[in-house]
Order: sequence, then C-alpha cells, then structure tokens
Amino acid sequence: MDDDQQRQQEQGDALMLACAGGDGAAFQRLYSIEAPRMLALARRFTGESAAAEDAVQDTFVQVWRNAHRFRRERGSARAWLYSLLRYRLINQQRRGRPADHQALPGDDWPDPGLSPEQCSLEADRDRRLRDCLQGLRGDRRRPILMAFYHGFTYEQIAESLAVPLGTIKSRVRSGLKGLQECLRL
Amino acid sequence: MIPQDQEERRLLIAEYVLGLHRGERAVEIERWLAEDEDAGRLARHWREHWLGAADLLPARRPPARLWRRVARETGLSRPWWHAGWASVSVWRTVSAALLVAVVLLLGPLRQPAPIYTVVLQAPGESARPGWRVTVSDGGDLRLTPLVEGQYAADRSVQFWTLENEAPGPRSLGLVEPGRSLVIPASQVGSVESGQLFELTLEPQGGSPKDRPTGPVLFIGRAVEI
Repeated sequence: MDDDQQRQQEQGDALMLACAGGDGAAFQRLYSIEAPRMLALARRFTGESAAAEDAVQDTFVQVWRNAHRFRRERGSARAWLYSLLRYRLINQQRRGRPADHQALPGDDWPDPGLSPEQCSLEADRDRRLRDCLQGLRGDRRRPILMAFYHGFTYEQIAESLAVPLGTIKSRVRSGLKGLQECLRL
Repeated sequence: MIPQDQEERRLLIAEYVLGLHRGERAVEIERWLAEDEDAGRLARHWREHWLGAADLLPARRPPARLWRRVARETGLSRPWWHAGWASVSVWRTVSAALLVAVVLLLGPLRQPAPIYTVVLQAPGESARPGWRVTVSDGGDLRLTPLVEGQYAADRSVQFWTLENEAPGPRSLGLVEPGRSLVIPASQVGSVESGQLFELTLEPQGGSPKDRPTGPVLFIGRAVEI
C-alpha cells in the first residue's frame, strides 16, 4: 500500500470512528469521499440510476446506524462500506431482474499482459490487483469481473456468455486460484 | 457443508467474497467465516483487494438529492424545531438564544462547522474510541468524552498536542474525566492534518515538566473533514 492509499484508509477509518461517536460532519465527509465511486459500482450492478441511488442511500443509512459496530482490526472502513453496498445490491438483485450486459473495466486489456500506458498511474494496491487480473486469460478474467461488477451468479454468467455452467465454474475457480497466488493470499 | 480440503476452503472464500454464493449457502459460509479466524481473515484480505476493482470505475457525481435523502433518513437534516417544537424547554432555549443574539448584536447564531476531527483511542485498542476532538473553522477545539473514566484522586488527566515538525508536545491543560471541554483558538494554536493529540495520566495538578511524564491514556491524529 502506498502513502496515498495509507492516508485514504486512515482517513476512512477515522471518519467511521467519528461517525460511531455521532459526528454528523464526519459522516457527511465520508459520504462526499466515497459516494461517487459507490454510486458508479451500484450503477454498474443495477443498470439504472434510481436503483443505484436507493442502494447507496440504504448503505449510508446503515453505516450511520451501525458505525459503532465498525472494528478496525476486522478490516478497513472502505472495505466495510463496499461490502455493505455489494451485500445490499446482491440482495436487491435476487428480487429483481439481473442487470443487462455492459462493458467491464478490463474489456480492453490485452490477454494476458500489461501495456506501459495501462500500468502507469494506478496506486499500489489497485495496480497489484489489476496486474494480477491482467495476468489471467480473458476467459478466466471476464466471468470473474462479471461477478464483481454485475453481481452475476454462476448461472447468470453461463447464460450471458452462452457457455456451459460446468465450464464457467471451472474457469472462475481457475481464475480465482490464479489471483490468489498472484496476490499471495 | 464446508469442505475439509484447505484448497477448496480457500476457493470457497474467494467465491463467497465475489458474491457467487447466495441464499442458505451464503448464510452457512458467513457463519463459518464468523467462527473461523483464519477463514475470516482471508475473506477480509479479499475484500481489501477488491476495493482496487471498485476504484477502476470512473466515479459518478451523486445528485444533490441523494445526500438530502440520506440526511433525512439519518435525522441529520432534521430542522431544530422538528424534534420538539411544542416543548417548553425548546421555546425557553429559543427565547434565551434570541435574547443573547439581541444583546450581542448580530452575534453568530450557528457554531462554525468543524474542520478537523480526532478520535482519541486507548493505545493498542484501535476499535475503542475514548474521546472525540473537533476543531471548528474558527480554531476553537472541543473535547468530548465517549467513555466514562475514573482515575485515582491523586492523579490528573492532561491534554497534549504535538504539532507537525514541533520539537515536543505542548500542554492544552487539564481535563476532567467524562466532561466536555472547549479550548479557545488562541490557546489551541494552529492545527494541521496528522497533528497528534493525546491524554496522559499525570500527578495531581499536571505534569511537573513541560512534557508528559505519565502513561498515555488516549491518542489520535487530526483528520481534515
């Protein structure tokens, strides 16, 4: 993790702890920092703005009410925020229609490999994940990214890509194993 | 059923964090992650790494209505008269405030918004905030207790700050455990992001030296908000 990420993480953690103490200004600051990216993810997941806004709203309301449950030793505030959001989105999706197929970050990446233009500016953690994703074959990477960005299940991925379910499971698991090794998890 | 094979377990965690398991299966895995420390830790590592994927998306500026909705739902936008417009105490407070305003001739009616916050925590107990510090844009500092504290009668709790690049800590005075304290800007001095604040346990009346001599009770750094 580089200095910027470290600072970003510490800032998120401190703001979340301040929220736990009832600090409304800290909560608003946390919202202004994280809501834009969370809204982008929610929009990608749901495919429409109203549902995405509902999800982000619910997540922040939940954060304000449960900030006292945040424990820094169990992960960063940002990771907690995004987990809550994805949990909310996944539950929402179970009740509704899956999002339509959209372009994903990574669609334009070489298969596999990394061009100098593509690896220049990202910070450490982001670059590490991105490098590892780029190290995967496209047919492994794409279903994993469909699960992350669209919240697709194995069945939905198989249907969307018109590939047998067993093949998709095998590709995703092979891709996750590759990521696990690359990220040294 | 949670597999016994370590490799399978690790893959199951990766799949779960990605959202590939739903319903009862997801509940079963969540329960396992809550009970198994190693499994829970691996899930947390995956979540931290996936933040990188979220950050690859171009941010979308939220419409102003979204914050208004959040603020309304959390009660943060509730107008001051909404909580108890009919109560005697509210009207008494309002009258007093108006009187003060008249006396002070256009004195500020609202407290300035805080621009820095510090959560002071016991060393080594990062998830247990003990005090909160807010510094307003006017520079006044408010120290608010989040926990009760009881110390020996022959001891005092002293508040310190260590400015960035400064040679040593500077005392901001004694603190009464469990009670809020406001320190004027003139005494606080300038505050910067990352500036250290701490409370130490000192002999009665405060440290005999111009630096802390007792153990650190709570410590934290300023964050701009």
